[in-house]
Amino acid sequence: MIAQVYIELFRNIPTLQWMLFFYFVFPELLPGSISSVLNNYKHYNFIAAVLGIALSNAAYVAEILRSGIEAIPVSQVEAAISLGLSKFDRWRYIILPQTVRIIFPPLMTRMIHNLKNTSLALAVTVNEITWTTQQIESLTFRGIEVTTTATLFFVILNAIFATLANIVERVCFKERKLTPGKKCPEPSKSYV
Amino acid sequence: MYDLQSFLRMLRFMAVGPFPDGSLGGVALNFSLAIISMTVGFFLGLFIALGRISKRKLISYPCMLFVELIRATPLLLIIFWFYFFIPNVLGRNVSIFFSAAVSISVYSAAYQSEIFRGAFQSISQGQVEAALSTGLQYFHIVIFILIPQTIKIMLPTFVSFFISLFKDTSVTYIIGIIELTQTGVIVSQRVPERLLVAYASVGIIYFVFCYFMSRYSIKIEKKMEKYKFK
Repeated sequence: MIAQVYIELFRNIPTLQWMLFFYFVFPELLPGSISSVLNNYKHYNFIAAVLGIALSNAAYVAEILRSGIEAIPVSQVEAAISLGLSKFDRWRYIILPQTVRIIFPPLMTRMIHNLKNTSLALAVTVNEITWTTQQIESLTFRGIEVTTTATLFFVILNAIFATLANIVERVCFKERKLTPGKKCPEPSKSYV
Repeated sequence: MYDLQSFLRMLRFMAVGPFPDGSLGGVALNFSLAIISMTVGFFLGLFIALGRISKRKLISYPCMLFVELIRATPLLLIIFWFYFFIPNVLGRNVSIFFSAAVSISVYSAAYQSEIFRGAFQSISQGQVEAALSTGLQYFHIVIFILIPQTIKIMLPTFVSFFISLFKDTSVTYIIGIIELTQTGVIVSQRVPERLLVAYASVGIIYFVFCYFMSRYSIKIEKKMEKYKFK
């Protein structure tokens, strides 16, 4: 129930709004001594941006995880129970290894989405690339050039991430696709 | 304390901004931005998707480049890009609403073209070949064969994309459009002792709109289940 509320709350309110909330409102809600420490801390804007992105991302990742776990047929768990595996062993050997394979591509999509969302940290004056482009633009009035350069940075970063994700997926997951019934070795007859 | 009169005034400001005296703002502006860019992006995205599944590389490669470029770039940077680019092309200043609408339209066109492409590819090539052999033109194939079959399976995806687009319009706060987030910031700056009330009401307004739209999209999805083909 709490998890449901958390997921709905963080998925239905924009990340930017959460960032502003953690930057402006959150210190006010805490008791006076803590809030004054936070307000005087120089890098609190960075913390607020990280909190905003991380907490809203957590809601999306939770949904991805849930769908990944639900994709595993119940009969497998029942078979594991009938084999006498404990609850920990069921998760360790049956459910999680398959779930990781299922959720890996959507998780990487989320990762790239997060990378793009970091540009929103401009709103809480974090000194990141979009903020820097604005600084340069206000000094030189060369808006298009600066913005295009920042865009290229993002495109290159995203391309690197996507390539890495593809390599990891190919190396770790694709070749070990479970093919039930095939890998089972024939019983050896040499000692008979 | 929080008297009702000023609370209602704040809610009104968040709903339509300084509307009768100034330009439209608040959540109405978010909605109009989302609807404009959804509509423009729908038609633009349709053409881009058709270009991307085209067999001529001269057409399909630029479309692919466009989509990948837009999808790899944060919306904020696209907004800044058009914010600087449009005055350079037209030679005069345009309103920030116009540049925001153009940039969000381009953004949504790229994403919607991906939705279209995925749906078009789920239709077997045999149908297109059969249509060609009965003498239909390309335009007629799109209108009578591809779209009627795919629109039903695409509808839930479009609704959920509209929700995310509605949330993304909050980014225009950064270039100074008086939309919902901006109204919250303005109210909290005018009346600093009501910081929490201002931000909480903005959050609640976003939550109510997005939550009911997502409920609606789940409802459509259930309704459309029977039209799905495999």
